Amino acid sequence: MEVSETAKEIEIKVDVNGKQYRQRVPSRMLLVDFLRDKLELTGTHIGCDTGHCGACTVMLNDVTVKSCLLLAAQANNSKILTIEGVSADGKLHQLQEAFLEHQGLQCGYCTPGMILSSLFLLKRNPAPSDDEIKRAIDGNLCRCTGYLGIVKAVKAAASRMGRGSPNQ
Amino acid sequence: MKLRLVAPTALIDINGITELGYIRQESGMIAVGALTRHDQLAQEIIIQEKCPLLAEAASVIADQQVRNRGTIGGSLAHADPTADLPTACVALNASIITMNESESRSLTSSDFFRDFFNTALKEDEIIREVRIPIPPPKSGGAYAKLAKGHNDFALAAVASQISLGSDDLCKAINVVLGGIDSKPIHATETEKLLVGQTIDERLIRDVSLKAGDGLTPNPDFRATSELKLKMVRTLTEKTLRTAISRARGGI
Repeated sequence: MEVSETAKEIEIKVDVNGKQYRQRVPSRMLLVDFLRDKLELTGTHIGCDTGHCGACTVMLNDVTVKSCLLLAAQANNSKILTIEGVSADGKLHQLQEAFLEHQGLQCGYCTPGMILSSLFLLKRNPAPSDDEIKRAIDGNLCRCTGYLGIVKAVKAAASRMGRGSPNQ
Repeated sequence: MKLRLVAPTALIDINGITELGYIRQESGMIAVGALTRHDQLAQEIIIQEKCPLLAEAASVIADQQVRNRGTIGGSLAHADPTADLPTACVALNASIITMNESESRSLTSSDFFRDFFNTALKEDEIIREVRIPIPPPKSGGAYAKLAKGHNDFALAAVASQISLGSDDLCKAINVVLGGIDSKPIHATETEKLLVGQTIDERLIRDVSLKAGDGLTPNPDFRATSELKLKMVRTLTEKTLRTAISRARGGI
């Protein structure tokens, strides 16, 4: 990591959704602002900006983190997955399809974070119970659905993904 | 920083020292590197088996995203009196190993915590490792907290760790309260009444009523002092019951 003399800017190298980026960023810039404003990946949302709502959840080196609680500089040399990288070739991931079918979203603001938290859960636990799903999305607030549709969607996706190919 | 509690002019990210993230069983102790994530603590089999109260405390910290990122060193150095790991570490008689450029110090966790957000760490020091003595056979522990939701800091928390002698009498006991004072504190009256005793259901109920005796918990906007004391008694009873059953029956 090269630090400029004033340390006001730091050059970082990241892999976001399989694409390599090398950029100079203000040292105070949050990861979520880097993704949205610099890379124009606006699928990652800012809800509260204080680490409570989970709308900014992304995967950093294969684990979920809140991108408003990290500086962009801290993601140097990391691999990041955002909601834009979850679907492939314009085709929705099975989990996203399940959210559509089971009304796992209304306004959609929390959905990118919900999808990433659910993906992390399913990677670890391919057949979660309702309680396990609820615990897994503890860090993601939804103010529309009442969560029932989300839990249903994750469950449906789990059984579908268990039958289909591991990734999609 | 998010809460504007501090506004440093310079910030050094120690996440790059990846060799500080480990959980190792060494002679008579478990060594946990400062950069070990809460999620690793919660998932690690050695921790679950040897000191289940620590795995329990780690598993109820905030949410998955925070557990994926937060570290034991970070939590201890921050020293929020309502956080989970400080209380758990005091109950397990953990030592905290600090270091600066030239020397390393070992502090008991009771000496480490000083006040609200205040520790014995010097300005040029970081935490390097947390050492937890492996409890002897016939030991058990449990952690429980009451919070507004899963995501929240504890209104009150209790960590109980007990060791039984070959005669089944209580040989050593720690009952540590979190969220009550400016740092984790022992429920000394409860501990005194348990040492050397055969622990049965009645004794558990009686001594739990003494937990928090003489204390005036800091009231806050979520709970009054009286409510916190009531919660301490209930949580003491609950953790003692689990700890003793683990000490008797395996984990």
